Amino acid sequence: MSAPIIWIAIPFAVGFFLLFFLHKRLSPLIGGAVAAILSLTALIFPIDTALLLGAISIKISASIQFFGRSFALNTADGPLIAIVYGLAALWFFGTETSGTANRFVALGLMIVSLLTASIAVEPFLFAALLLDMAAILAIPLLVPIYQKPGRGIIRFLTYQTLAMPFILFSGWMLAGVESSPGAISATVQAGTILGLGFAFLVGIFPFYNWIPMLMEEAAPYASGFLLWALPTFTVIFALGFLDRYVWLRTSPQLSNAIQYAGIFMVASGGLFASQQKHIGRIMGYAAITETGLLVLAMGGRSAEIVNTVFLLLIPRGLELAVWALALSILKRRAYSLRFGEVKGLARKYPIAVSALILAHLSMTGFPLLAGFPPRLALWQELAGQPIYMSFWVFFGLLGLLVALARTLAVFVMAEENTGWAWNETWAQSVMLGLGALGLFVLGIFPQILQPLIVNLPALFNHLGL
Amino acid sequence: MLILVSGLLLFLTALALIVLQVTQPNARYAWLVAVGGAMLALLSVFFWLVQMPFEFMLPAWKPASVFLNPILFQADQTSFPFALSITALTLTILLTAITRSALTNSFTWAGTLALGGIGLFSVTANNPLTLLLMWGALDLTELLTQLQAVNGAANNEKVVISFSTRALGSGLLLWANILSIAQGNTFDFQSIAPSSGLYLVAAAGLRLGVLPLHLPYAAESTVRRGMGTALRLISAVSSLVLLAHVPVESLTSTLTPFLLTLAVIAALYGGWMWLRAPDELTGRPYWIVSLAALSITSALSGSPLGAIAWSNALILVGATLFLASVQQVWLNRALLVGVWSLSTLPFSLTASAWAGSLGFFLPFVIAAQALLMAGVTRHALRSSGRTALDSQPGWANKVYPAGIILLITFQVLLGFWGWDGARQVGAWLPALLASLLTFGLIWATPRLRILNPVRAHWVSNSADSGLATFYSGLWIVYRAVGNVSQAIITTLEGEGGMMWTLLFLALFILLLTQGIP
Repeated sequence: MSAPIIWIAIPFAVGFFLLFFLHKRLSPLIGGAVAAILSLTALIFPIDTALLLGAISIKISASIQFFGRSFALNTADGPLIAIVYGLAALWFFGTETSGTANRFVALGLMIVSLLTASIAVEPFLFAALLLDMAAILAIPLLVPIYQKPGRGIIRFLTYQTLAMPFILFSGWMLAGVESSPGAISATVQAGTILGLGFAFLVGIFPFYNWIPMLMEEAAPYASGFLLWALPTFTVIFALGFLDRYVWLRTSPQLSNAIQYAGIFMVASGGLFASQQKHIGRIMGYAAITETGLLVLAMGGRSAEIVNTVFLLLIPRGLELAVWALALSILKRRAYSLRFGEVKGLARKYPIAVSALILAHLSMTGFPLLAGFPPRLALWQELAGQPIYMSFWVFFGLLGLLVALARTLAVFVMAEENTGWAWNETWAQSVMLGLGALGLFVLGIFPQILQPLIVNLPALFNHLGL
Repeated sequence: MLILVSGLLLFLTALALIVLQVTQPNARYAWLVAVGGAMLALLSVFFWLVQMPFEFMLPAWKPASVFLNPILFQADQTSFPFALSITALTLTILLTAITRSALTNSFTWAGTLALGGIGLFSVTANNPLTLLLMWGALDLTELLTQLQAVNGAANNEKVVISFSTRALGSGLLLWANILSIAQGNTFDFQSIAPSSGLYLVAAAGLRLGVLPLHLPYAAESTVRRGMGTALRLISAVSSLVLLAHVPVESLTSTLTPFLLTLAVIAALYGGWMWLRAPDELTGRPYWIVSLAALSITSALSGSPLGAIAWSNALILVGATLFLASVQQVWLNRALLVGVWSLSTLPFSLTASAWAGSLGFFLPFVIAAQALLMAGVTRHALRSSGRTALDSQPGWANKVYPAGIILLITFQVLLGFWGWDGARQVGAWLPALLASLLTFGLIWATPRLRILNPVRAHWVSNSADSGLATFYSGLWIVYRAVGNVSQAIITTLEGEGGMMWTLLFLALFILLLTQGIP
């Protein structure tokens, strides 16, 4: 069997099956189990390498042809697939406790498989199409069937769709630039168009305004899932671009532009988060800040780009999952998620509130939590750059800290003599507890990720050289 | 490895107590287990002397090319007195707990032991990364404990503000190190850049409520004596240990006099409020602020040894007062050893405190010191509000004083032998002046109304009105920034948001292309 069938076709088919044929209570279990099995498979069985199990030899071939296009997943992709499906499993297992609509798991699996296809497709420019297909598939995830989509959702789809022509067009131009590297104007045009495409795709300032709007309009769990999945694959796609084109990775102007965009996202995301009175929107801005950190890491000129990016990507999945699950639980009690409605909830939902605060703290870069080691790595990388870059990153994270203080103050603002109660279910408590434990484990022992990320630089041979 | 042994003794005992509480809630030997563990931990710290200096390193973070510094702990002349003070404090809390049995249980004792363990690792942290992790653990523990203990919206808000301020202090430590790394130094205390020194002081000051002056700890809390004392003092000392690492050459900055002024104001304010506090527990936040300010003053005046001395005085002298809940005449008099420990007289615990150059600030510092000493005298001899020792069970009659005496012994012991630079004559003239001023204050207290203790409900948790104005100024700036950012958000998310977005984008590209040759 070939790798694209295992990690693209099978999850897509399972998702399709779950969407139309299965009882909703079983779908989180089945979807989670499938994702977990796919993750373990990627971890255990190397792609394109014969593995002897007693007398049986197993070999997963790397590529497959589909409508004249090639889909290839190589040995180096194994850990990446393991990470992606592992985190997806986490999201799917949490679906039942979050109370999210039953089609979440089905559509989620299909989205993840399409996104996986985006890293496998050759010519790789077709990834833009697959990313857009994933964005379209996300719409029924965000909007109930008979409900009119909100402005945030429409804007999300618009920006994601606008990204596609820009990226395809820039790909065509970049091929020309490679053949005549002296053509400065073509180079600048190609770079600008490519930058625009990725600005739409990643949600660079000012194209990120759909994120807080989405967090206000849609279910937090589904929105959180998108905020994890789309930027993750977009960043991998962008790294692929940088790795493939010499001109892109050696251009100091482009590197500066990427870093400025990242800094702007971090600083503005933190600043805007500190002014919000809606805990869903705060999560949206925190996700923007985190994406900004990723963009900033990608723009670095050091040898550790890939390590730093993946150190940021993995905890991000856990942080957003814990945060979104906690928000979903709180949303059942306080539908609008505005400060006025969540006041004093810490004494009624202590576990959900604690988990939410820990996830927020982690994104702020609080020591002991999962977000701290990657930020430390990023500071280390930024040390070689002008100090104002570090300052603006510090400023953005400070904004998140202010947002945290305001959120926590509202949560604990209970009336005199209000007793403690435990309104979360056992399943919710266990899921949130495990998530919080994971945040601590990744924060204290980040080296446990080492087996997963040690071979990832092989995916991008030219980056960091 | 011995650091790990001492820490594990505390943590494992805490774990054993939790297991005992769950499996055998009525076990009568839980207290013995707690005291045994704490005693072994204290003894194990003495064993450090055999090998000192030595290091203990946790498995390195990977990839090694990204994480250059390990999580490293070191036992040396700086960390040893702190470790001794913390383990002695933990043992004393447990020994004196027998008089507070109605309010304490195995979970409280386990909490105290765990706090002692975190404190022990904090003071032995050998680089900022390790210290940041330990601060994180302490801050989360304190947040959790306080939120469980306090009641009412206003008190909860204070806990959150206190937590945020300390997190900001941790951020400053991180910033100090970013600056240090940017200048080509590594992320450790030994090679920290001189320009980062003041940020280290500011980080400690912010966490302790000295720079700018604020009270980071809510006074109204049910965890007052045992666990509360451990929480306050260990948290404070874990921040103060940073001052021992400030490079002296970094103090030549033009900002130093400004920071010194702020620290001296905090010391005077804290000393004054401590003297007039109705009881030692109400005055505890002021005790911490004042002694922390003196410690910072010492560090800023170029005497890291002084910072060590004041920090140990904070924990040892403070703990004897805060844990003394039982009345007995000779024990109350023994508490007066604390006055000597604070006096900076030759061979006292703080004899090395004023080795640095204080210049213009000296008289103010002496005044602050005298206020503290007079306050200690008043609180030590105060009998109201304490139960009599004779009313305790027979064995408690012996154990409780032993706990208090332990801390008093350590005050004397560390003054002679605590660290390189202890056992010295020191600056005896300022010490003499401070002692005379203390006698004057003690004499004047019953005679001058202004020196009389205020009623408990008059003691405000917030700083004075001048500071309130400062903070309201900050609030106005925050609101102004908020209005601007809200306007941007509304524009971008409104009906014409997409058009505005494209306009912003065009501007952004124009700005960037200006830089392209």
